[in-house]
Amino acid sequence: MFQVNHVTKRYGKLAANQDITFSVGDGDIAVLIGPNGAGKSTIIKCIAGLLRFEGDIDICGYPNKTPQAKSLLGYIPEMPAVYDLLTVEEHMEFIGRAYSLSDWQSEAERLLDRFELTDKKGKLGKELSKGMQQKLSICCAILHRPRVVIFDEPMVGLDPHAIKELKNLFQEMKADGASLLISTHMLDSVEDYWDTAHIMMNGEIAATKHNHGDSAAVGESEESLEELFFRITEAPQASQKGGDVR
Amino acid sequence: MSGLRYLFTHTIKNRIKQLATHPGQLILYLVFAAILVLTLVGGALQTQEPGKTFGSLSEVTAMAYVLYLFVFVSICLRGLSSGASFYSMADVNLLFATPISPRTILFYGLFKQLGTSLLVGLFLLFQYGWLSNVYNLSLGGLGVILLGYAVTVFAAQLTSMVIYSFTSGSDGAQRVVRTVLYLMIAAVVAAVAYPLLADQSDLLGTAVSAINGPVPSLFPVAGWLGAMVSGAFSGQLLPCLGGLIATGVFIAALVILLLKSRADYYEDVLQATEVSFSAITAQKEGKMAEAMPRNIKVGKTGLKRGRGPSAFYYKHLLENRRSRVFLFDMTSLIFLTISVVFGFFLREEGLLPILIFSAYMQFFSTVTGRWARELSLPFVYLAPGSPFRKLVMICGETMLKTAAQGVLLFAIIGVIQQAAVWDIAACMIAYFTFGLLFIAGNFLVERLCGTLVNKVVVITLYFLVIIVLCLPGILLGVFAAMLLPAPVMLMTGVLLSAGWNLGVSALIAYLCRNILTYAELNNK
Repeated sequence: MFQVNHVTKRYGKLAANQDITFSVGDGDIAVLIGPNGAGKSTIIKCIAGLLRFEGDIDICGYPNKTPQAKSLLGYIPEMPAVYDLLTVEEHMEFIGRAYSLSDWQSEAERLLDRFELTDKKGKLGKELSKGMQQKLSICCAILHRPRVVIFDEPMVGLDPHAIKELKNLFQEMKADGASLLISTHMLDSVEDYWDTAHIMMNGEIAATKHNHGDSAAVGESEESLEELFFRITEAPQASQKGGDVR
Repeated sequence: MSGLRYLFTHTIKNRIKQLATHPGQLILYLVFAAILVLTLVGGALQTQEPGKTFGSLSEVTAMAYVLYLFVFVSICLRGLSSGASFYSMADVNLLFATPISPRTILFYGLFKQLGTSLLVGLFLLFQYGWLSNVYNLSLGGLGVILLGYAVTVFAAQLTSMVIYSFTSGSDGAQRVVRTVLYLMIAAVVAAVAYPLLADQSDLLGTAVSAINGPVPSLFPVAGWLGAMVSGAFSGQLLPCLGGLIATGVFIAALVILLLKSRADYYEDVLQATEVSFSAITAQKEGKMAEAMPRNIKVGKTGLKRGRGPSAFYYKHLLENRRSRVFLFDMTSLIFLTISVVFGFFLREEGLLPILIFSAYMQFFSTVTGRWARELSLPFVYLAPGSPFRKLVMICGETMLKTAAQGVLLFAIIGVIQQAAVWDIAACMIAYFTFGLLFIAGNFLVERLCGTLVNKVVVITLYFLVIIVLCLPGILLGVFAAMLLPAPVMLMTGVLLSAGWNLGVSALIAYLCRNILTYAELNNK
C-alpha cells in the first residue's frame, strides 16, 4: 500500500498541490481524474520521488525517496522517453541490473511477448514509435514486480491490443495485491475496474468516490463517476469541494 | 556489471555499431575528421613560411577569456530560469526511479557532462588555420584553450544547476544572484573600459592588456581559466597552476554543496531536462524550436496589416515583437558581436576576411529564420495565393533582418578599418546577397530531398549545395579583382560575386516556386 499525507507542492507562490491526503490499499486500484492543470501529474511526480514537497509519502511503510521504497515502486510517465542508444532487450537488462534483480530474463521475455515487442528486441530506443516506446516504458516499470505502480495517462498512444493487455495487467496486479494509481483524462477507459476515484481540481482533491463492484452500487449517491466529474469540474468555484462520495 | 556502467558502455558500443548500419553518418564523421586534419596540417604548414611576423599571443588569451566569460555567464544565467541538466528524459523516467543512490547518479551525470563539454569544444580546433597563421599558435596551445573551454562549459553547467537548486521559487534569491553576477561583469567591463578611456593611442593593445589584467582574471572560472591559458603561453607556472587549482576547488565545492545540502536534486534538473527533451523531440519531428522570453508580453493584439500571402510577413513582425526581437534576434546579435570582434582583431587585413567570416556566421542565423519555421507548419501550404508570392512573403522578415545586419556590421567595421565608402557599400550588398543565397539553397534542398527523414544527410547536402552555388560567384570576383587596379579591386570583385548570388537566388526561387504547392515534398 502507499499513503500520501498532507502533501503540498509549491512552485514559487503557486500551489500546484494543496494539502493532498489519500491512500491506496493492497489490491486496490485508485484513479486520479481531473481537467488539464488540476495537479494530477504533479502529485504523481511527487510520489515517484521526482519533486520535493511538504508532507509525507510512504510506499509500503518506507519514505518514498528511500532505496527500499524505490525497489517497491513502478512509475510509468506520461511522456515515454527511452534510451535512444539501447535496444529494447538492453533496456530490460539495464533495469534488471539497476534494480539488482537476479532472475529477470524470463519475466522480461514474458512482458515483451505480452506487449508484442519480442520481434523488436534488437531495435534501438530511437527506432521505436511513440506507442512502442510507451509499451517499453511499461515493461521497464513493472519488470521488478513493484508492489505500488503509478501510471500517468498510460493509454495515450497505445494500440487496442496494448490497451487490452494493460487492462488485463491492472487486474492481475490487483489480484496479486499490488496498489495501483492511474491518472487519466479518459473516464470511460477506467470505468470497469477502479476501486476509488479521486477527482482533482485546482491542485486539491475535490471529491473521492468509492466503487462497490456492481453497477447498481457504483455510488450510494446513484451518481455515475462521469456525472460526478462534470458536477465537480463544471460547478462554480465556490461549490467545488465535493468531499467523500460513496 | 552495475546498472550505470552497463548503461554507459552499451550506449557507447551501440553508437559505434550504428555507424555500420548508417553509412551516411559514417561518411559525415569521416568528412568531419578529414576537414579537421586538413585544417590542422594546413595550419602547421602555414607557419613554416620564413621571415613572417606574427601577432602577440596575448591577443589570443584575451579572445579565449572573452569566449570563456561569455559561455560561463550565459550558462549561469540559465540557472535563474530553467536551470541546467546533465540528464536525458530517459534518465528521469527510468534511472531516477531506480534504487540507485542519487549521489551515484550525480557522479554519472557529471562524468557524462565532462565528455559532452569536450566534444562541444571541438569546434575550436577548426580555428587552428587562422590562429596559427596570424599568431603562430601551436597545436598544444590550442589544446590548452580547448581544455579551458571544456572545463568552463562543465563548471558553468554545474554552477547553473546549483544556482537553480538554491534560488528557484525565490524571487529575492534570484535577484541577489543576478545582481552579484552583473556586478562582477560590471567590474570586468570597468577594468577594461577605464584604461581605454585614459589612453586611446593604441586601442587594441590597451584593450588586450586590460583583459589580461588582474581584475578580469578574478572572475570565477572564466578569469581563472583565462589566467591558466595566459600562464601556459607565457611559461609562468603560478598563474597556470593557480587558475587550474582554483577552478578545481570551485567545482569540488559545488559538488560537495550539492551533495550535502541538496542531495534530493532530481526536481532541480527536471525542468531543464523537460525543456531540452521538448526541443530534441521538436527537432526530430522537423519542428524548429524558438528562443523566446519566459514571460511573453502580449501587448497590442492583431496583425492590423496584410492580406493574402503578405499576412505571413506581418505575422512574423508580430511574432518578433512578442519575442522581443527588434530586427535582430539573440543569435544574430551574438554573430554580429563576434564578427565585430573578429574585425577589430583583423583590422589590418581589410574588409574581405570580415565579409567571408560574417557570411559564414550568417549561414547559421539565416537557416533558423522565421521562414524556415514557417515551412515546418501547415498554414503556408494551405493558404490560398500564388506560391511564389507566399515564398517571397515568408522570407520578407529574414531579408529585412539580413539587410539591416549587413548595413550595421559593415558601418561599424568600416569605421574601425577606416575603409573606403564604396568598399563598405559593396560589402553590405554582398552580405545581403549571401543571405538570399542561403535561403535559396535551403529551398533547393527542400525541393530535391524534402522527403528525406535523415536530417544529418539533409544538412550535409545543404552545406555542399551552398558551396556549389556560391563558388562560381567567388571565383568570378577573384578573377575580376586580379585584372583590376587596387582602388576598385575589392569593390568590383565583391559586387560581381554579389551579382552572381542575386541571379542564382532569383533563379532558384523561381524554379522552386511550387515548393509550397506540394506539402508532401517537405515530409510535413
